[in-house]
Amino acid sequence: MSVTLEKLPKGHQFPPAEFELSPEWVSQYVAAVEDAAIGRLGDDLVPPMAVAALSIRALLDAASLPPGAIHLGQELAFLRPLSIGERLSARARVASRGERQGWALMSIELDVADGAGRPVMTGRATVTMPLDPERTA
Amino acid sequence: MTRQTEQPAALQAGSEIPPVVKELTQAKIDAYARAGGDNNPLHTDPEFAAKTQFGGAIAHGMLVLAYLSQMMTAAFGQAWLSRGRLKARFRAPARPGDTIVASGRLLRREGGRAICQVECRNQRGEVLVSAEAEAPV
Repeated sequence: MSVTLEKLPKGHQFPPAEFELSPEWVSQYVAAVEDAAIGRLGDDLVPPMAVAALSIRALLDAASLPPGAIHLGQELAFLRPLSIGERLSARARVASRGERQGWALMSIELDVADGAGRPVMTGRATVTMPLDPERTA
Repeated sequence: MTRQTEQPAALQAGSEIPPVVKELTQAKIDAYARAGGDNNPLHTDPEFAAKTQFGGAIAHGMLVLAYLSQMMTAAFGQAWLSRGRLKARFRAPARPGDTIVASGRLLRREGGRAICQVECRNQRGEVLVSAEAEAPV
């Protein structure tokens, strides 16, 4: 991991991240969020928020969140149900970036596609983070 | 606790969406951090978090959103997974020890979609997340 998020400029494209909705990871996620609803729809369906979480996790391999980062807002659009075992790819870019009083305010656009390249989810996160994480406390 | 739901067709303008209630603990936040790969110490290190503006550990915003998504999954089924949309703002932090209630109501039907106002509150009635959610009906 070479850079933290607050250092990225507007327009920065994250390296595409590929990942699998493995049974083990989906089980871990469903247990962590105590999702009793998804299992009623079918044994192999994946909670849509799990796809968002795993996409963000994959992207954070390329740029980490600095200590003290705060999630201000989130938009998501789910485009089709996803099943355990599917392989997905996530692309993201810094759509906007500003600075004020020692904090960076950024929005990051996210697009997730399936193995055939068809979009399955889009999103936009708004986050703020200290420009100097050492001074957060 | 997740309560099963009236079917989407039964939800009319003004209908309340059956709520989802969760008891938040540090262990659950830690479990989400492991699943989501977000080990920001603001969530996972109470000692670090105590020195920040939050005065203690707070939950990941995506964990709280997962509770809202569960409520929408229970209410709208595969329609939520197929074409659901969520636009959320994080208003206040969720903390270990909080009882979080995800709730909402259907505002109107428009263009084949159910437009819902949804939110998460804690046991003191504070709004943690407010959002507009849409699902096809």
